[in-house]
Amino acid sequence: MAKKLMKGNEAIGEAAVAAGAINYFAYPITPQSEVAEYLCWRLPEVGGAFVQAESEVAVGNMLFGAASTGKRVFTTSSSPGISLMQEAISYIAGAHLPVVLVNIMRGGPGLGGILPAQSDYFQAVKGGGHGDYRLIVLAPSSVQEAVDIMILAFDLAEKYLTPVMIIGDGMIGQMMESVEFPEKYRKDNDPEKSDWALTGTEGRKARIIKSLFLDPQELEDNCILLDEKYKKIRENEVRYELYKVTDKNRILIIAYGTMARICQTAIDELESEGISVGLMRPISLYPFPEKEVYAEAVKGNIEKVLTIEMSTGQMVEDIRRCVMGKKPVEFFGHTGGIVPTPIEVKDKIKELLG
Amino acid sequence: MADALSVRYPSTSKRIIAIVGGFGSGKTEISVNLAKYLAATEKSIVSIIDLDLVNPYFRSREVVDELEALGIKMIAPRGGQSYADLPILLPEVKGALEQRDGRLILDIGGDAQGTKAFGSLTDTIDISDYEMLMVLNSRRPQTDNPDGCIKIMERIELSARLKFTGLIANSHMIDETDEAVVIEGYNLARKVGEATGLPLVFLSAKSDVLSGMDTSLLECPILPMTRSMLKPWEEKK
Repeated sequence: MAKKLMKGNEAIGEAAVAAGAINYFAYPITPQSEVAEYLCWRLPEVGGAFVQAESEVAVGNMLFGAASTGKRVFTTSSSPGISLMQEAISYIAGAHLPVVLVNIMRGGPGLGGILPAQSDYFQAVKGGGHGDYRLIVLAPSSVQEAVDIMILAFDLAEKYLTPVMIIGDGMIGQMMESVEFPEKYRKDNDPEKSDWALTGTEGRKARIIKSLFLDPQELEDNCILLDEKYKKIRENEVRYELYKVTDKNRILIIAYGTMARICQTAIDELESEGISVGLMRPISLYPFPEKEVYAEAVKGNIEKVLTIEMSTGQMVEDIRRCVMGKKPVEFFGHTGGIVPTPIEVKDKIKELLG
Repeated sequence: MADALSVRYPSTSKRIIAIVGGFGSGKTEISVNLAKYLAATEKSIVSIIDLDLVNPYFRSREVVDELEALGIKMIAPRGGQSYADLPILLPEVKGALEQRDGRLILDIGGDAQGTKAFGSLTDTIDISDYEMLMVLNSRRPQTDNPDGCIKIMERIELSARLKFTGLIANSHMIDETDEAVVIEGYNLARKVGEATGLPLVFLSAKSDVLSGMDTSLLECPILPMTRSMLKPWEEKK
C-alpha cells in the first residue's frame, strides 16, 4: 500500500480498524473530534459501530460493559472528556478489563483551550481515578508512531487485562504526516477462546466481572493481583528512544511526544555550533524508564539533565525521582497551548551551560 | 527558479477565487501562496479570507503578520477568538464578497462540512465573476482515484451551493513530496477533468520539488509554492 497523507486523528481511527477494534464509544471534543468523524463512516464499512454517547461519563461505562464481552473496545477524547471518564477507568482497571483510551491533550485546567498541551501527565500516569491502580501509558511523537502504538495498545491491554492509555498533545491529532498501515488487517480476537469474557453461560460455569469486594481480604487479594501485574509490566514493557546520545553530551534532554521533535531540531542546531546535547524520549510513561533515565543521567560528561514539557512541570517529578539527586535536574516548559520553539530550547541550554 | 516557470503561472481575471477541497488537500498553502503571487504581480488589493471554521490548527490566520507585511489584507478572527472552538463568521466576510473590486481569495474549510459556512454566503456572489477551484491530492485516502474525487466534489457543490469552475492538481506528502507524487497528482487531475469537463487551472507543488523536475511534460500553468504552515520543529529557512 502506498504511503498516504493522514491527519493524526484519522490515522488513529484507521489504526484501530487495523487492530481489529471495531467497537468504538466516544463523544466529540476538540482537538480529537476527527477520530469520531472518521470512524462514523469507516466502522460500518468493516461491520463495526460507533456509538456516540450522551457524555463522557456514559462513554466510560459503555466501555466497561462492552469490554466485559471480550471484544476489542476503545474510546478517544481530549483532556476534560478524559476527566469525566475517570470513575469508569478505575472500575475497568479493578475488574481487569482490556480497554484502549486515547487522550489528545489540550490546554487546561478547566475548560482551558484547544491548543496542544502535555498537562495531563499526572492524570494519566499517577491515576486520574481512585484506588490502587495504574494504566499503561504510551506517548507517540509522530502520526506513524501513533498508528503503531495504537495497534500495540490493544495487544498490551489483552496481554495484561488492563486499560491502556495513549496520550498525544493536540499536534498528534491535528497534524498531517505520511503514514503506512500493516498489510494484513487483523481479525478481531475471539472472546469465545478467552477464560474470562462474558460470552453466555451455556455449557460452562458463570463468570463474574466486578470491582466490588466487600470482604477486605478479597479486596486486598485483588489489589495484590493488580500489583503483581504492574510489576510484570514494569519489568517487560519499558519503551524509550535515544537521539544523539554520546559520551560527549554535556546536557541530557528528556522530553516526550512532539516536544521531543522540537528538541531534536534544537539539538541538531546546537551540534553545528559545537555544543553536544543528547535526547532521551520516554515512549512508555508508565512503565517509566526509571533505570534507563538514571543510567543516562549519571554518565560522566553530563552536567545537567533538562526536562522540557508543555506543562508547568509534571514528568520532571519522575525524572528527579529517578536521578536521585546525582545530577541537577532542570525544567523548561510552556502551557496554555504555547509550544516551546527550538530557539527557546537552544537558549535554555546555553543559559544552563553558562 | 520561479522566473523560469513564471510564464506558466496561473491566470484568471475573476475577482473571487474560492479554494475548496478535502481535508489535507493543501487549500491553505495554495491560498497563501496564490495571495502572495497575486500581490506581487497585480496592482489591485489582494485579500484573503480564512473561512476555515472546522479545523482548529494550521489555518491561514496563523501567518497574518507575514501576509499583512506584503500588503495582503487578511480577514479572520483576531486575538483570543482566533483560537476559539467556535465557528466564527465575521461580518466583514459578506462585505468583502459584495464589493466589486480587488482580488479575493477564500481559504475554505475541508470537505462538505467545511464548505457549509461558504455555502451560507454564496448567494451574495456575482456568478459571472468567481472561480471555485477543487484542490486534488492523490495521497489522501478519499481522493486517490477519480471516482473518489468526483464523489467528494458532488458533496462539496451541494454544500457550497455553487458550481466548480476548475481543478488544481496539488498532490503532496508535505515534506516527503517528490516528482512521482506530483506526476501522479497531475494524471489524476487530468482524469477528473476528462470526467467532469472542468479545466485544470493550475498545478501547484513545492518550488524545490518543481525545480528538480522536467515540467515541460505538464500541460498546465504551475504555481511554485513555499510552505508556510510549519510544524513547531520545522524552522523557517
